[in-house]
Amino acid sequence: MRNWLRNPSLVVLTAVLVAILFAPYVTRTSGQAPTTSAVPLTANGKPDFSGIWQANNTANWDILTHDSRPMVAQSGVYPNHPVPAAPVLTLGSVAWIPPGMGVVEGDDIPYQPWAAARKKENLENWLDRDPELKCYLPGVPRAMYLPFPFQIIQGPTKVMMIFEFADASRTIHLDKVAPYPNVAYMGSSVGRWEDNTLVVDTSNFTDHTWFDRSGNFHSDALKVVERFTPMNRDAILYEATIEDKQVFTRPWKMSMPLYRRLDKNARLMEFKCVEMTEENRLGYLRKEPLVKRWEGQTTIVEITRKELPPSVTYEERMHVSGNPPEK
Amino acid sequence: MKNRFLAVMGALALVAGVSVVALLGAGQAKAGAAIRTPWGEPDLQGIWYAYENAPLERPAQYAGREFLTDAEMKAKYGKRWIERVAEGFNDPSTRQGRDRREKAGTDEDVAGAYNALWTPGRDHIKPTRRTSLIVDPPDGRIPPMTPEGKKRADAFKDFQEALLQGTPMGKPGPLFSRRTEAPPNYNLGRLHRPPQGPEDRGRTERCLPLMMPSFGGRDYQRIVQSPGYVAIYYEASGHAGANRIIPVGEARQVPLPPHVRQWDGDARGRWDGSTLVVETTNFTDKTDYQGSHENLQLTERFTRVDADTIRYEVTVQDPTTWTRPWTVRADMGKQNEYENGLYEPSCHEGDYGLIGILSGARAADKAFKQGRGPDPWKVKVLYDEVPGAAGE
Repeated sequence: MRNWLRNPSLVVLTAVLVAILFAPYVTRTSGQAPTTSAVPLTANGKPDFSGIWQANNTANWDILTHDSRPMVAQSGVYPNHPVPAAPVLTLGSVAWIPPGMGVVEGDDIPYQPWAAARKKENLENWLDRDPELKCYLPGVPRAMYLPFPFQIIQGPTKVMMIFEFADASRTIHLDKVAPYPNVAYMGSSVGRWEDNTLVVDTSNFTDHTWFDRSGNFHSDALKVVERFTPMNRDAILYEATIEDKQVFTRPWKMSMPLYRRLDKNARLMEFKCVEMTEENRLGYLRKEPLVKRWEGQTTIVEITRKELPPSVTYEERMHVSGNPPEK
Repeated sequence: MKNRFLAVMGALALVAGVSVVALLGAGQAKAGAAIRTPWGEPDLQGIWYAYENAPLERPAQYAGREFLTDAEMKAKYGKRWIERVAEGFNDPSTRQGRDRREKAGTDEDVAGAYNALWTPGRDHIKPTRRTSLIVDPPDGRIPPMTPEGKKRADAFKDFQEALLQGTPMGKPGPLFSRRTEAPPNYNLGRLHRPPQGPEDRGRTERCLPLMMPSFGGRDYQRIVQSPGYVAIYYEASGHAGANRIIPVGEARQVPLPPHVRQWDGDARGRWDGSTLVVETTNFTDKTDYQGSHENLQLTERFTRVDADTIRYEVTVQDPTTWTRPWTVRADMGKQNEYENGLYEPSCHEGDYGLIGILSGARAADKAFKQGRGPDPWKVKVLYDEVPGAAGE
């Protein structure tokens, strides 16, 4: 550490790296023309939420306040300080999840005792259990804070939300429709206006979706009441009250802003992950496996990655990025 | 702020008033063009299904004729259908209730147990007199392929045929030497071999995305609009239905650069009078529509001809595949909004079929290896085409 500080070029390099890393965030806020605060309204005078939106938080990693941790961990030298394990070890700092403040009121989820144990078990088996990894439909509310944009097309009687992740979508019925006769990953949503707030009741869920990558879960008794309230032109206050008598001791609530994507070229693109996850899900059933080792249904992950030999010069080591200065 | 709000509301009231006058003026005709959204764009919203029960291409026996005769109609649809024509298919009572079952325990009931939920039931199919959905070229047939297109299509066909060589389904001879290799282009149907992996099976079995264009008795769609955007949800396709977002007007469009390719392509819309015109390009080389891949270009036209009908037309072109563009017309009927008969297919989440197919293939491999079963390459298999797969 002291050596590091004593080396002026390292300090400069670090400063430059930090500047580069944070540059997008700085320019994004300063580069956009300030928007007016007037909330767009529909023909019938209600807030028009049409547009492309995205949460900007770490709730999809963990809806509760969390420190950084390896995505997949193994014991380190100290029992309380795990290090990344094989599937993500090669990713370096990317193998660590971003820390973040929670989105749950009181920062506590009132699990029944059995459910608290199940949540812990889910987290320990994240790679095997998280429906997101299999490209299953994310459910509600998780779809709303995935690290992907979604687009709202707000019609007079239907509000359609289309999510970039998995090409998922939901239709919120503002008009009266027959009760949904089945369960659905994305649930069945009916909405109504309370002043300027769109209130959405969603039910008919499956018990196959999660709230985040930390194993927080629910049963098919889940009922979600969401409230979409404009904060200004470019932000929606999103609140979701979660009720599930089979899993929780009482209803609980999460809330967060959803931000309008102000990028001039904002648009949804395709993230159709069914095909992307085929090797992960079905690779063990290939005649000739692509992965080096499947033992039954278990992937034994082997990785090949090279560190520079200790003998390389300081300059060579610094230029490992592949961006050496021009000679 | 308040004044501006009042001004906006005043303008809207004026627009609404004008609309009412326009509707009154139209009288009983209720032309589709007069049906507008509250913000004044043509209104295509609702649940729609393609109901015209005509083949894509005109069968040889109807050559030179666009329509069936009365006798042919009767032969094709039976007495019941003729009666239904007389009843009038615009009667709302004949359109709703897609879940209506045949009498429990009958063959019709059992046969329809699964698929009837996802495809327009017999009661919804319009007994059209048209002999083909293709309206241009006038012969109702897909135009001839270019030499390049034919070469590409033949390469795939030849590969499929070669896979059968030496098996009970093909020509005699040794098994094809390249039988475990990847086919000449991305496979979306069923390869004629024991599945080596998921890629050997059909698009619908893998729950892969919608194959554009989608029309003609395959699908229910929901259209929702906001100012400048038209969103279409196709129920029975892809992972869990498929979504298209069509920005209408250049100001809202962010075209993809040529190197970005998508299953659904890149759709850009405009209003031509009261018709929504959608141009779609940027398809992937995995796309396979009638032998066209990444160079597929679609021009779709959605016109609300009356309250209950959208006329859907699509011009398909690909100069690397066909000698000329061709056009399909397939009208869509409106579905009951209250019944809201659209469901989440979650095809992928429930896809244990594919796991079963592949694990069956691996079990057969193992049995053969252990001398307990036949050589999987020597077993007779019926490689029927997958509904909705490439080339349909």
